[in-house]
Amino acid sequence: MAVNPVPDHVPPEMVRDFSLFTSPGMAPTPNGDPHAAVACVHSGPPIFYSPCNTRDGRGTWVVTRATDQRRVLQDAETFSSHRSIFSSALGESWPMIPLELDPPAHGVFRSLLNPLLSPKRVVVLEPKVRERAITLIDRIAASGTSCDVMKDFAFPFTVSIFLRLLGLPDHRLDTFVGWAKDLLHGDDVKRPAAAQTIVAFIDELATKRRKEPADDFMTFIVQAQVERRRLTEEEVRGIGVLVFVAGLDTVAAAIGFGLAYLARNLKDQDLLRREPDRIVLAAEELLRAYPTVQIIRVATKDIDFEGAPIRKGDYVSCATMIANRDPAEFECPNTVDLAREDNRHAAFGYGPHRCLGSHLARREIVIGLEEWLARIPAFRIKKATAPITSGGHVFGIENLILDWS
Amino acid sequence: MRIIVHKARCQGHARCSAQAPDVFRLDDEGYILPGDIEVGEGEQLLASRGARSCPERALELDRTPAARG
Repeated sequence: MAVNPVPDHVPPEMVRDFSLFTSPGMAPTPNGDPHAAVACVHSGPPIFYSPCNTRDGRGTWVVTRATDQRRVLQDAETFSSHRSIFSSALGESWPMIPLELDPPAHGVFRSLLNPLLSPKRVVVLEPKVRERAITLIDRIAASGTSCDVMKDFAFPFTVSIFLRLLGLPDHRLDTFVGWAKDLLHGDDVKRPAAAQTIVAFIDELATKRRKEPADDFMTFIVQAQVERRRLTEEEVRGIGVLVFVAGLDTVAAAIGFGLAYLARNLKDQDLLRREPDRIVLAAEELLRAYPTVQIIRVATKDIDFEGAPIRKGDYVSCATMIANRDPAEFECPNTVDLAREDNRHAAFGYGPHRCLGSHLARREIVIGLEEWLARIPAFRIKKATAPITSGGHVFGIENLILDWS
Repeated sequence: MRIIVHKARCQGHARCSAQAPDVFRLDDEGYILPGDIEVGEGEQLLASRGARSCPERALELDRTPAARG
């Protein structure tokens, strides 16, 4: 990975040898714990400079305290979201929408999309979500006493729900997951290739839905109006690509990290199985302890922030996994306490860009845990196997082989 | 007890209404409705939990004597 030189305005004493990509525990690691590995930053200064903290090797400021991350993420005027993180892989610069738009344009699109994924809407979607979980888990339970939860449950469950939302067929699920893996975890060759494929696919889907409307998300987008006009092709693409990418990986990872914790902590597993009413609160704690996303903003002007001389154009990292282990915000942050109250975690971010899909994601995680615990007896990580976890832009868990024999 | 709603800070996490749906009402997009909230006797525990669950700090508990009124 190419490393850019540290800019002159960064005081050398504020530079730290830390990165979500290259620090110990960030590479794919059997039985790794990347969240614990990054929590160590809290023994250091509240903000520092990391010379290599993006996928393409750029430096970022790293904001460690939850309260400071809130300040950054709530202040879109100073800290912009427009980074073209996806299209830059193609040498282009269109934004994913609404993720990479700033207010006021952001609000226009957010208002358009909010009702599609609102808490009310999720109540309507819930029966289908639960049905899908039950079908998959019943199949697993009937076929043996062990499985790879990621491959057999977490991915097919979360991805098929979101494919239905988009109006895409289930039978291409493996293909879509493959694209997402290449995009989020692939190298410099796989990543742009996957980006190209996804863009072509979304463009084609939009064209199809313009000609043949259906009862799905993409039809809604191509027919929608903002400010009394139809969306441009680039805007349709920006929304389609975001929804496609955002739904493919993160919820599956959250379920995987959660089940891995329960497989290693049988008392907690047993408690949730006996008292499933606790699962809603427990899911929040698992989201706190094992969030998956690093959020990055770009400074729009020079600002001195908590002693850091941030200059226009600097990247500012607000890693949710770091905020969620902040001892100033959470008592015993490295302890998972499934009954934790006052849990204002940052797994879905803070500020106007709060994860649009958070309500659906939460329901999927809760339903996934409820139905898994109701149908699978006491499970552990299968002997002689090790889940492989990784850090990076999106934290992940590749495999999780459970055994309940 | 009264809850002061800082509507401009609400980002639609809906954590409040997950705790106390009868106290914290949301609009069709999932954001809190404007206006401070008077909390009835029986709802105080859930309401304060809901207010304390807001990641944006948009809900403020007002326990001044006037608010208890």
